[in-house]
Amino acid sequence: MTRRSDNSLSKEEIQSLFRIYKGSHDPKIKNILVRAHLDLSHSLARRFMNRGEPLDDLVQVASMGLLKAIDRFDPDRNVQFTTYAVPTIVGELKRYFRDRTSTIRLPRGLRERAHALNNAVQRFSQEHGRSPNVAEISQEMGISEEDVIEGLGSIESSAVASLNSSSAEDSDLSLLDIIGGEDKTLETLDERLSLAGAMSDLSAREQNLLYLRFVEGLSQTEIANQLGISQMHVSRLLRRTLQSLRQNLTMPKETL
Amino acid sequence: MTDELLADVVCLQLPQETRMSGIVRLAVSAVASKSGLNLDQSDDMQTALDELFRLYLSEPNPEGTLCFRFQILSDRLEVVTQGISRDLFDNDSKLNRYSRFILEQVADRVEEIPSPQGGFEIILVKNVAQKLS
Repeated sequence: MTRRSDNSLSKEEIQSLFRIYKGSHDPKIKNILVRAHLDLSHSLARRFMNRGEPLDDLVQVASMGLLKAIDRFDPDRNVQFTTYAVPTIVGELKRYFRDRTSTIRLPRGLRERAHALNNAVQRFSQEHGRSPNVAEISQEMGISEEDVIEGLGSIESSAVASLNSSSAEDSDLSLLDIIGGEDKTLETLDERLSLAGAMSDLSAREQNLLYLRFVEGLSQTEIANQLGISQMHVSRLLRRTLQSLRQNLTMPKETL
Repeated sequence: MTDELLADVVCLQLPQETRMSGIVRLAVSAVASKSGLNLDQSDDMQTALDELFRLYLSEPNPEGTLCFRFQILSDRLEVVTQGISRDLFDNDSKLNRYSRFILEQVADRVEEIPSPQGGFEIILVKNVAQKLS
């Protein structure tokens, strides 16, 4: 019995669709092929979870890999599409991590410790509903507090996060719009209005992050839970965003 | 004042240069761990001191150094920043207002007092969160 990759298409049908697509480049055929393999790209994206990047972003990257694989696949070769697509999609995901998340290559031992630290912090936060302190991480991992601090430092120095890229999930709502509707504390109104001009240069995601932290007053752990990323990633993103904001404020072409 | 006498004190004096900002963050992380602050709170203090450090990088400073005095108390961490001439509470400066906004959001208390040596001292306080679990 032929194993089907989705509810409606057999392997043979998929192969023949690829042959048609190769000759026609018909977008409708491409859409059918994409839909038939979305489960594959999602499942590969999930393999890269818990490494500090939001799952939604990983799914987007994997989908890009899937599109590339569909465009490049040659049905005349005696190979199943999935055999060709898996390394293409995984390669796209690895490239994403290499290009987007790390500028400094850490020694393997430190990388492993950083990964374990990240997991320990997430585990603790989920169990206790708050972020741990260094002593608690040290106890959880069975390493010294100094090693924990060193590990936290290495995580900070190895990854430069960016929210600058826009994506489909970005909201069109600016922070100024949100503050305008929810401003309850007149004491800080002046400060907020002063920020507003500089904030318009930030992406919607960066604005959302600042809104959650500085207007809603959520902790990094709470933001992490809400966005489905790690507390450490929120920390890096916040730092990066504040740096951008400061740069915008000190730029000579100020409109405030 | 009694509290100050009970505090463990750690002092960090460093050149007023951008490349030193990483040291500030690392020092805060280490001191915060001794204070019992959790990672969220530690990060808040790192954000605060990073912000202060960057604010004062452009300031004229005859000494060329900034000094952070960490006072570790049983229920809070206090950080006194010395060696600064800028008045953080001068509202004419947009950058001041921005920095103060950030500081007030991440620290539990922000104070400025005239320094005996001239200029100002900024005091940031972060209370240790009570463990609920």
